[in-house]
Amino acid sequence: MKLIINSPRLGTVGAEFTPSEGINIEALIEGGFLVSTTEPKKSSKVKSEPIEE
Amino acid sequence: MATSTYLSNPLVTVNAVDLTDQCTAATFTKTLESLESTAFGNTARYYVAGLQANEVTLTFYNSFAASETYATLSTLVGTQTTVTVKPTSSATGATNPIFTLTNCYLESLPIVNASLGELDTIDITFTGGLYSVAIA
Repeated sequence: MKLIINSPRLGTVGAEFTPSEGINIEALIEGGFLVSTTEPKKSSKVKSEPIEE
Repeated sequence: MATSTYLSNPLVTVNAVDLTDQCTAATFTKTLESLESTAFGNTARYYVAGLQANEVTLTFYNSFAASETYATLSTLVGTQTTVTVKPTSSATGATNPIFTLTNCYLESLPIVNASLGELDTIDITFTGGLYSVAIA
């Protein structure tokens, strides 16, 4: 999960946020200062059944 | 003559959010609780340092706009966070140290403190937490 800055009060908007000790991440997300992005998961491959001849 | 004059450029952050332009006063107090160590034979009371019991009190203009005072503070009530105060916005150094209270607790937040013809201001106090000072 990446934390992206969403307010200039926190830093450069669009930059990744690296929290220091004691920072309440949930409060920053709830207040709209941060957005969290989750990297898309790879879709699971479905193996097709072997064709029997 | 030693003086510290605060004009317009101290730096105040709450939970890493820069609220300098909404803040008008900051009182950062480092406290070490005193534990009495007086014993028989002493002719005066003596004390040793106990736990830290620090606090920082900040005065803010209240604002309900996005990314302003209310958005920053309302989600912190009842939780721990970190507050920093620096005398000026210049680079941190021996003459401009940054004071930090880590994992301090916000017990209450005045939501509205309104008077006719005046700006809405609130005083909040963060208690507890570990005090530290950095010069680099």
